[in-house]
Amino acid sequence: MLIYVCEDSLEGIFTGIYRAYEEKRDPLDTALSLTDDPVLFAEKTAVEPDGTRAFKVGRTLRRRFGEDDYLRLCQALAAEDERKAQAVYRTVARGLETNCRPGHLFDSLADDNVQTAFSLARGAGREIGHLQGFVRFQELKDRILYAVIGPKNNVLTFLMPHFADRLPGENFVLFDRERNLFGVHPAYREWYLFQGETEEPVLCPTKEEERYRELFRAFIRGIEIQERRNPQLQAKLLPRHFREYMTEFQNAGGQKSAK
Amino acid sequence: MQYVTVDGERRSLSEKLLILSDAAKYDVACTSSGVERRGNGRDMGNCVAAGICHSFSGDGRCISLLKILMTNECVYDCKYCRNRSTSDIPRATFTPEEICTLTMEFYRRNYIEGLFLSSGILRNPDYTMELLFRTLWLLRNRYRFNGYIHVKAIPGADPELIGKTGYLADRMSVNLELPTAEGLRTLAPSKHRKNILTPMRRIQNGIQANRNDLVLYRSAPRFVSGGQSTQMIVGATPESDWQIMNVAESLYRKFDLKRVFYSAFVNVTGDSALPALPGGPPLLREHRLYQADWLLRFYGFRASELLDEKHPFFNVLLDPKEDWAIRNLGQFPVEINRAPLEQLLRVPGIGVNSARRIVAARRSAALTFSDLKKIGVVLKRALYFITCGGRMLYPVKLEEDYIVRNLTDRRDRVRFGSDGMTYRQMSLFDDGVFSRPVRPVEQAQDAVGQL
Ligand code: SF4
Repeated sequence: MLIYVCEDSLEGIFTGIYRAYEEKRDPLDTALSLTDDPVLFAEKTAVEPDGTRAFKVGRTLRRRFGEDDYLRLCQALAAEDERKAQAVYRTVARGLETNCRPGHLFDSLADDNVQTAFSLARGAGREIGHLQGFVRFQELKDRILYAVIGPKNNVLTFLMPHFADRLPGENFVLFDRERNLFGVHPAYREWYLFQGETEEPVLCPTKEEERYRELFRAFIRGIEIQERRNPQLQAKLLPRHFREYMTEFQNAGGQKSAK
Repeated sequence: MQYVTVDGERRSLSEKLLILSDAAKYDVACTSSGVERRGNGRDMGNCVAAGICHSFSGDGRCISLLKILMTNECVYDCKYCRNRSTSDIPRATFTPEEICTLTMEFYRRNYIEGLFLSSGILRNPDYTMELLFRTLWLLRNRYRFNGYIHVKAIPGADPELIGKTGYLADRMSVNLELPTAEGLRTLAPSKHRKNILTPMRRIQNGIQANRNDLVLYRSAPRFVSGGQSTQMIVGATPESDWQIMNVAESLYRKFDLKRVFYSAFVNVTGDSALPALPGGPPLLREHRLYQADWLLRFYGFRASELLDEKHPFFNVLLDPKEDWAIRNLGQFPVEINRAPLEQLLRVPGIGVNSARRIVAARRSAALTFSDLKKIGVVLKRALYFITCGGRMLYPVKLEEDYIVRNLTDRRDRVRFGSDGMTYRQMSLFDDGVFSRPVRPVEQAQDAVGQL
């Protein structure tokens, strides 16, 4: 058994896959790992992430398995879960071996690796879906929009294109507090990510901003039907850990409300 | 008639918003689904086919759109409506500019997916429709909003005006209000079934004509591209579930509606013509109607299979699919590794997505019960109705009483026990499989088979 130890990133894991193919490894006797934990009877080799190789792998996967399944593989790799590298590698190996048609990579759910990759992708995909709705921007000076998220999975890369498409003319920043990662979109230009190094900036909302928050809270209050009150249902559909970042669950001072 | 019109003009924006969102809340449709429109790189907004929920209110309903009335002034006097002309409540009216500003500023902050604009009848239907049109026109052309807009067509308004408005909206709806013409006559004397069905038909024709235009010129302007919807109030009038499902079915068939919404009646006016509903709004009934609506749209069922004259109401304890399966035990068990998709869809515990995944997965390997679990099948409900490789999960009697007892057992004990809890309380204890309003995101996902 040979284990490729990869960096926990799309680039790192794709490079690992590249190496396994370049070195013509038998997938059943090969593994991708993100940790350096000792394994009996296994040989290990560290993989240096490589942009060009990762890009080639991405291109091949997209061509062979189609846009949707490629996206799903990427989402699986965004999951915060150590099994992801191995699950994605084996899923890809199986797909290439069986020559599966685009859009059918995840058909064989009876296979454990495929099943794992699939459910990791689903988990990350769900979080992306939630955050597309639950992200709350606040307006800072000069009409800059700023939002903080604390996602379980590494989903910022998936959120940026979504917001860039709908808010092309806005200068906005999306900050992943868990990973200290910033997504920046300058109006009418390409977005980019960068790793934060400094302390998280302390922000104070403008008067105008406070006014819109209050309006939104008024709206949320107005729209609830008392006769149907059902906080359990609300909690299930809008899990509590998102609320910390959501305007409607904060009091006027920006504090989290006890509700 | 008591009007507080003058006051209304002096209200602050936040007062207006409170009054006019409160007044709009009984309209159930809040989905932003059905339209896929990428941003154009210049204007603000896009549309995502699956729909996006931006929040959930304390009643557990999805908030996707800024759902407001333009005004709660109304010259009509529908007995079930709080905005009726004879009701003594604070009144307010937005200006078109106020609506535009709210929409834009809320959208930028990602509070909402778009606008849902309805209205009471201010002066007359034409005048009201004109104002709605003007608001949408401003929003699209001055404020350059490219997100989702759902607008009401006002029954009785000039068809020309409704048509023009349709080119600015993604979805249009005319509320059927009550399931039958009879009910309408008693509770909404100024509305007539005909006045509701006429604009509905016009919108349908408009959508059809627009499809043809789009075939000819790709750049033809889009007319109500997210389709048309409607809603009925359930429980204000004595119609049976069977009648309601038949109405829904013919709306889907004859009017090509995208969605029919059901709204559990909430008695807000206390009018003597209305039922008192001491147990609260009929939420379980509403839920059963949504489940059945699903079965019509995605599972290939017909209304007549679910209910009939002798059997006009849904079962309280079983969902409509379980109920159907129990009454048709002759069609079970179904063999997972061979049954066609249509048959899998009829098995309780197997949803649209799981059925598709079964069909895909069994191509490469014969499936076992543990595979089914991975695929997402709810085995504890499905096990009475399926075999894998000719065997059932464990020996069960294919016998009505036995299965009903087992299907309802866990619910009886866990959720409503024997202490006489009402439907309303039951829905508080739902577990997602049993009783819960369906989220628009899921609706659309079900529709397109996404994950
Ligand atoms: S027309 Fe009837 S239902 Fe509509 S706002 Fe007026 S009174 Fe209410």
